Order: sequence, then structure tokens, then C-alpha cells
Amino acid sequence: MIVPLGHVLLFAGLLFVAGLAAVLLRRNLIMILIGVEIMLNAVGLVLVGASAYWRHPSGQLFALLLMAVAAAEISIALALVVYLKRSRGTIDVNRFDGMKG
Amino acid sequence: MMGELLFLIPMLPLCGALIIMFAGGRMSRKLLAAVASFSVIASALTILWLWPLAAPQTRVSLFDWFEAGALRVPVEILFSPLSAAMALMVTGVSALIHLYAASYLHNDPDVRRFFALFNLFVFAMLIIVLADNLLLLFLGWEGVGFCSYALIGYWYRNPGFAAAGRKAFLVTRAADVLFVIALLWLFRLTGSLSIATINQQATSLPAGTLTIVALLLLAGACGKSAQLPFSSWLPDAMAGPTPVSALIHAATMVTAGVYLLCRLFPLISLSPTALAVIGLVGTATAFYGASCALVQRDIKRLLAYSTISQVGYMFLAVGAGTVTGAMFHLITHAFFKALLFMVAGAVIHLAAGEQDLFRLGQLQKRAPLLFWLLLAGALALAGMPLTAGFFSKDAILVACFALNSPWWTGLGVVGLITAFLTALYALRLVYLLAADRDVTIGHGPLPRGMIWPLLPLGLLALVGGQLNLPEPWGGGTVLQRWLQTPSGRGGTHAIEWGLAIVTLLLFVAAWLGARYRFRTLPMPPGGGVAAFFTDGWKIDALVRNAVSKPYEATGRLLDGFPERWYTAVLPDWLGRLCQSAGRYFRTFTSGYVTHYLSGMAWGTFLLLAILLIGLLR
Repeated sequence: MIVPLGHVLLFAGLLFVAGLAAVLLRRNLIMILIGVEIMLNAVGLVLVGASAYWRHPSGQLFALLLMAVAAAEISIALALVVYLKRSRGTIDVNRFDGMKG
Repeated sequence: MMGELLFLIPMLPLCGALIIMFAGGRMSRKLLAAVASFSVIASALTILWLWPLAAPQTRVSLFDWFEAGALRVPVEILFSPLSAAMALMVTGVSALIHLYAASYLHNDPDVRRFFALFNLFVFAMLIIVLADNLLLLFLGWEGVGFCSYALIGYWYRNPGFAAAGRKAFLVTRAADVLFVIALLWLFRLTGSLSIATINQQATSLPAGTLTIVALLLLAGACGKSAQLPFSSWLPDAMAGPTPVSALIHAATMVTAGVYLLCRLFPLISLSPTALAVIGLVGTATAFYGASCALVQRDIKRLLAYSTISQVGYMFLAVGAGTVTGAMFHLITHAFFKALLFMVAGAVIHLAAGEQDLFRLGQLQKRAPLLFWLLLAGALALAGMPLTAGFFSKDAILVACFALNSPWWTGLGVVGLITAFLTALYALRLVYLLAADRDVTIGHGPLPRGMIWPLLPLGLLALVGGQLNLPEPWGGGTVLQRWLQTPSGRGGTHAIEWGLAIVTLLLFVAAWLGARYRFRTLPMPPGGGVAAFFTDGWKIDALVRNAVSKPYEATGRLLDGFPERWYTAVLPDWLGRLCQSAGRYFRTFTSGYVTHYLSGMAWGTFLLLAILLIGLLR
């Protein structure tokens, strides 16, 4: 393995934090979804890195599964976003407080 | 094989009760009375039929009621001479009273309930009489208590009558608690609840424990038998129909306490202290009852106090060690007191429900036969020589004096004074009922069914003494030879004759006194002293002040602090705390997804930080 595992983990961690920051700080739903995708990819990166480090294919298999699940998830999420845009006329998360207690 | 038939004795009245309860709705009034009376008469005949089986060891077990560890409670009948004699008395007197009740309640709408309870009562009473196991006996004990309660409050639409039933139930229940303690204690000590086993093992018990157990048993017996200090329920129990008073509150149930002490006499007799206390309670109650009976205006209350007093004599007999004497007086008392109650019922019927002795009268003119029956009962109660009451009462007093100790002689003297009072109030009753004054005329002539059941009882009240005629009188002491129970130290002929003469003199004195005082139209007793005795020495007020009022005060006190605190203040406060906490936590749910997500992120961060710190250590 050319790239040391520590670098992979560090990069994946930075990627995860960047995604989390996008999720927490952005107001646009699309941007939040992109943040989620970034976090998922950070996880996938860790899986692949670990798979290479331990020379075991299961990590890569998990990464493939992750991609498939992420694709399914994002398609449903985008459908919801489209529905929200149509029904409420906005995709600003601060305009949605239907769960307020 | 024949032994199993013994179960017919209690089962027949039970069957009668069940038939009336479940199939009585369609029966005519006459059929109801016939079923009820027949079941009791059949039971009495069964006892006579199986009489040859009666022996100290005749016991038949039907099945095990329940079994738990060392505790085994068989449904077992002991047909000893003692229980056979008692059972015959119970069923015999019950049969006559059933026949009387059929006429007495001839226009009562609830007669079905009456007969069902009446039969059930006979069943429960027979269980007490025949049971060998104390727990089975207790089943009957509570059974008669319930029937007594239900029958005192038979006319429950009258709140006073219903309250009298409740009072009887509660007072006897208070004493029953002590009885149950004695029962459990005996089980712990001997590992058995069989009366025979307990009596056998009694000698090996420590003396102190024995005394306490005997006193607890005495308390239980006092509750059922209306002895001091549990006596106050019996006068109020007169709210029930008169046949009930005759059967339950004169002849049978109130003597159950005496019978219990007789059955457990081998145990009780081992403690001289307990015997002395039993004698004291009996004498005190006898005197108390007689003094109260002397001034009563209500005919039934007079008889109730008289019953209390006479049962006191039976307790005195047990204390003096003569079980035979107690049983003898129990049986003769059942005869003449049942007779007196039924005469009272007939008198009340004639006077259209009037119970005030000072408004009754002219009995010998209006119903001569009834008057003679009254006289027979009253003379037996008064202990006129040669009547049943004379012999049974003398047997008890002889046993007292024969013990030859200051304590028992003292009790015997009080017993003699009570005998004088007894004669006085019995003759007062006769004179008042015969008094020549204007009286209310009631429901017309007496039904024949209310007269003829009294005739056998009248006869027995006069000649029942033959049952156990003492030896100096040339008697064969039949009852003593049959029962084979302890009869105390036999009195010398000097004591027997001396006592007979003293009681004769007392009777004559009482008769002269009553004649002087009550023959001419007497005035009702008045004044504070009379009121004191009429109210039974204010025992009710005493109980109210000593038991009820402190109880109520404690209740009010507890209602103030812990009750209100725990059920109102504290829950209120907790509720308000929860409400405000909820209102505060509500603000956390802003409804914005971002807030929730950041909460989750911070939580994860915190968990990771904790893990990290754990790893670094």
C-alpha cells in the first residue's frame, strides 16, 4: 500500500467533518443532501482504505453496497425535495418547523 | 359403613337451604315451610337413628378439605356422646322452632329468604357441633355468625334493624380474631387442628402458654356467647323475627361458646388461672344480665338479658370444672328459653306488635294455654324446685361450693344472689303479662301452629330435670353417665340439700317480692338508676367512648396529616413539577431539522471524547 493508512484516515476524517459542517450549517436542502453524500463517501473511503490495509476484500464489498444504498437514498431524498418545493414553494430548512413541540 | 350416614345430619339442612335458595321461587309459602321443617326434622330423626353409633371414638372422615404442608384439614365428624347430645338438642329445638316460624311469618313477603337462612343456620350450627377439626368448626362458627347477621337484619328496610345486625357481626368478629389467634397458636404448638389431638397433647404444653391460649379461646367464646365484655350485641339482636331470637339468640348459637369450651375442656382444665377467669366472667355476666333484665320494659330485651345471664351460669359451670353441669344447663336453658321466646312471639302477635311490658297484660284471660306455657317457662327460668332450671342451676352451684376454696365459694354466693334476681325478673314477667289493664287487641286469635310446638318445650321445661337428676334426689344422673364428661368435684349430700333449701327459700322470697311489687298495677321503672340498668349498665356508651371515639379521633387525625398529604398535597406537587418540566423540555423541540442534527452531532462528539479519554488512560 503506497498511501499510509493514517493519511487515508485523516483525509476521510476531514471529508466527514466537511460533510457534517455542510449538513449543520447550510440551509438549502440540496446542499444538506450533498453534505450527507460527502459523509457517506468519507465512510466509504475508510472502508476501502481498511480493506487495502488488511488485504481483505470485504471492505470493498461494503463500499460497493454503500454506493448502491447511497444512490437509492439520494433518489428518494431528491424526490422529497421536489415534492417540498412544489407543495411549500421553498427548500429552505428553516422554513420547516412542523415538528415543533 | 353406617358411619358415612352421619354426614346426612348436617347435609339435610344444607340441602333444604339449597333447594329453597335455587328452587324456592316457584314454591308456595306452605311448601317452603314444609321443605325447611322437613329437612331439620329428618336431620333430628337421623340422629336418633344413628344414636347407637355415638361413642367417644366414633369419627368419620369424608374427604380432605385442604392440605398445605403440615396442615391437613379433613372434613371429619366426631360423633361422641357430647356432640350427639348437643346435635340432638339443636335439631330437636330447631325443628319445633321451624314449625312455629311457619305460622309466625304467615304473611311475610320474604319468607323464602327466611327459611333458606334458617336452614343454613342449622347446617352451620351442626358443623360446629360435629366437627372434630378446629378449622372446620371455625367454618361453622363463621357460618352461624353470618346467618345471625342476616337474620337480625331480616327486616333490613328498617335502618335500625340493619344496624343491629351489623353491630352483632362486628362485635362477634372482634372476638373471633382472638379465637383465630388461639387456633393458629394451637396449630403451631401441637402441629394439628384436631380437637382430639390437641386435647391429648395439651399436657405437654408449657403452663404459661396454655393459660394464654385458654384465655384467647375464652374471648372467642365470649363473643359468640355474648359474655362480658362482648355482651352488648345480644339485646340489639332482638330486632330479628322472634323465631330467630328463639333459635339463634337463645337456644343454640349463643351456647356455641360454652360448647367450644366443653369440647376443649381437657386443654382448658390444665390451667387453674383460666378456669378462675372463666368462672369470674361467667358469674359477672350472670349477675350483670340478671340486674339488667330486672328493669327492662321490652319483653324481648328482657329475655335477651336473661339469656346473657343464663349463659353466664354455663360459663361458671365450665370454670368450676363441671362440663356435665354446663351441658345440662345448656340443654334445659334451650328448652325453657326457646319456650319463653316463642311465648313472647305469640304475645306480641296477640298485641299487634306491641313489645312494651307495661302495655301488655291480661294474658291468662285472652290465651289461657299460652299463659300456662309462659308460667312453665318462667318457673323453670326462676329455678322453682323440681323444674328443669332448678336442677341444672343447682348442679352448677353445688360444683362451685364443692371446690371448697374462697374464690369459688365467693362466685357461688354471687351465683345465688343472681338466682334470686333471676326468680324476681322471671316472676315480674309473669305478673306484668297477667296484669289487669287495657291492652291493644291484635291480629285475632293465635294460629294453631304457634301453640302446639310450644307444648313439648313446656313439658321439657318442667320435667327436663329428669335428664340429670342428682343422686340425693334418687336420680340416675342419666346425662352424666351418657356424656362421661368431667363433672367437677361431687358435692356432699349436705351441700346438695343445703343448697336446695337455700334456693327454695330464695325462690319463695323472690316470689313474695314480685307478688308484693308487681301484682297491683305497677308503674314503669323510671329515674337514673333504672335507666342505667335498662341500658345494660351503659356498656354501649362505654364501648363508644373507649373504642369508637378514639378510633374516630385517630381517623380524623390521620385524615389530616398523612392521608391528605399523601393523597392530595404530594401528588399535586409532583404533578405540577412534571408539568413545568414538560413545559421546559418542550422548548428543545424547535421543529428545525438542523437543531436535531446538531444535537446528534454534539452527542456523538461527546461520546467519542469520552471513549478517547478512556483509551488514553
